[in-house]
Amino acid sequence: MSEAQTLTVEVTAIEQITPLIKHFKLAPIAGGSMPAFSGGSHIVVVMKGASRVHRNPYSLLSPPNELGGYEIGVRRMEESRGGSHFMHDEVRVGSLLEIAHPVNLFNLDKIARKHVMIAGGIGITPFMAMLEDLREGPVPYELHYSVRSPEHAAFLSRLNERQAGRFRMYYDSDNRFIDFDGLLSNQPLGTHVYVCGPAGLITRVIDSAQGWGWPDSHIHWEQFSAPPVGDAFDVFLARSKITVHVPPDQSLMESIEAQGVEVPYLCRGGVCGFCQTKVLELDGELIHNDHFLSDAEKARRNTIMPCVSRARCKTLVLDL
Amino acid sequence: MLVTGIKSKPVYAPLRADVRGRYHLMLGMGVGDAALLRVIEEMRSAAPQALAATRVLVIPQTGAGVPVAAPPEFSRLPLQEVRAFAAVPALLEEFKELLGRALMGTRLYVAGPESFIGLAMKLALEFNLNKDEIRAEELGTLARRVYCIHCRATTEEVRTNIVECVACHRWLLVRDHYSRRLAAYMGVMADAEAPGELPPVKEVFA
Repeated sequence: MSEAQTLTVEVTAIEQITPLIKHFKLAPIAGGSMPAFSGGSHIVVVMKGASRVHRNPYSLLSPPNELGGYEIGVRRMEESRGGSHFMHDEVRVGSLLEIAHPVNLFNLDKIARKHVMIAGGIGITPFMAMLEDLREGPVPYELHYSVRSPEHAAFLSRLNERQAGRFRMYYDSDNRFIDFDGLLSNQPLGTHVYVCGPAGLITRVIDSAQGWGWPDSHIHWEQFSAPPVGDAFDVFLARSKITVHVPPDQSLMESIEAQGVEVPYLCRGGVCGFCQTKVLELDGELIHNDHFLSDAEKARRNTIMPCVSRARCKTLVLDL
Repeated sequence: MLVTGIKSKPVYAPLRADVRGRYHLMLGMGVGDAALLRVIEEMRSAAPQALAATRVLVIPQTGAGVPVAAPPEFSRLPLQEVRAFAAVPALLEEFKELLGRALMGTRLYVAGPESFIGLAMKLALEFNLNKDEIRAEELGTLARRVYCIHCRATTEEVRTNIVECVACHRWLLVRDHYSRRLAAYMGVMADAEAPGELPPVKEVFA
């Protein structure tokens, strides 16, 4: 994905909907319609801050059949590298943002006989659009939505209005938690489970489903990792013939982009595998933070996802 | 026209037990029994408790006039259920009933002739079972179900490279082009260009 393919949108509304989440409405500056998307899609928002450019993926939560604009929900991250703080503190109604075209890495299975969706906190966002795709259809579905306490339940009024009877709330503050085994031990053949939220939630759902014999093709999850901070290191780009310094709070991909070298990407969150880059030389260790490569591939030390992964090394040469 | 070397032709592999499954549903026809017994034996050593969650539906090889009964090799095992059927439609009807009641975590094993596997897979597909939930081993006759692309009738038990369609009587060339949805190979009129000119008819699916 290159910058040339981005769209410019105007922020038309901002609402603080929970203590941590802001709801943004985006519309095309030229009028007309936004590109079509399916439930589960995300966009990458390019944020030009004072000192650096942030590019963060956000799920589209607006109904896919309403293309006059897009809606996203942004949770303020405590340990933000700047992206969510930029969205919360710098962006105003009327601000212009660059966004990349929607990409869907969290699709509904089109021939499923039933959909079970599990959301934790801000993980509700992709489901808001997926639920719209399912609303008029014949396939049964249910959402299980877990948050800390009622004040953190984003989009509850929209759910009540459009999905009454098809979702259940779980509040930590009431000691009400999702019974994963109860839920996943008793689903008809052809059911698919989808989970989005904190890493712990995703792990528990996957473990429970696998424990009840669910095959991987029926388990779907999405979690965008923010690129973790780490030690600074240098990387040599073999094709561009330049050395790039990667500071502790900037990702490998961001550092390379800052030198004007483009890295192809779709998600920037360690999910899609699009930015997979060949490691030509390495003296040290790769720190893999993605959810794409298998453990065996990671152990081979010859490939890296520059969007979230780093290195602790004396020498690193990439095929870029 | 491309007749062989077509990607849609199914590929089968010897059955292996998948003990990550919670429930096991096994279908066998004729000599397919042997493959099911082998996989049950494998299961017994890897996860003996799985036998109590295993249902077996078989069409045994029996002579005419002999009452249909499950082979004794199955009846001896501590399986959840073993049932014998005289013919494919009755077995498939019971299979469909079981699929309707089955839970996620079920694995399907099918062993027998390809046409039998195809019909079982067609039903499994309707219940959205995916590749990682189904195993199939081809044993027995290679006779094919052939779908006439002209009149949409299916001709059963086809053993020759060219076959006359049961419904429209066109001569059909049997291709390796396979439809999982129809559980049949595609048959295309063999003498459309030059009526009456047919290649020699040979038995190729014994």
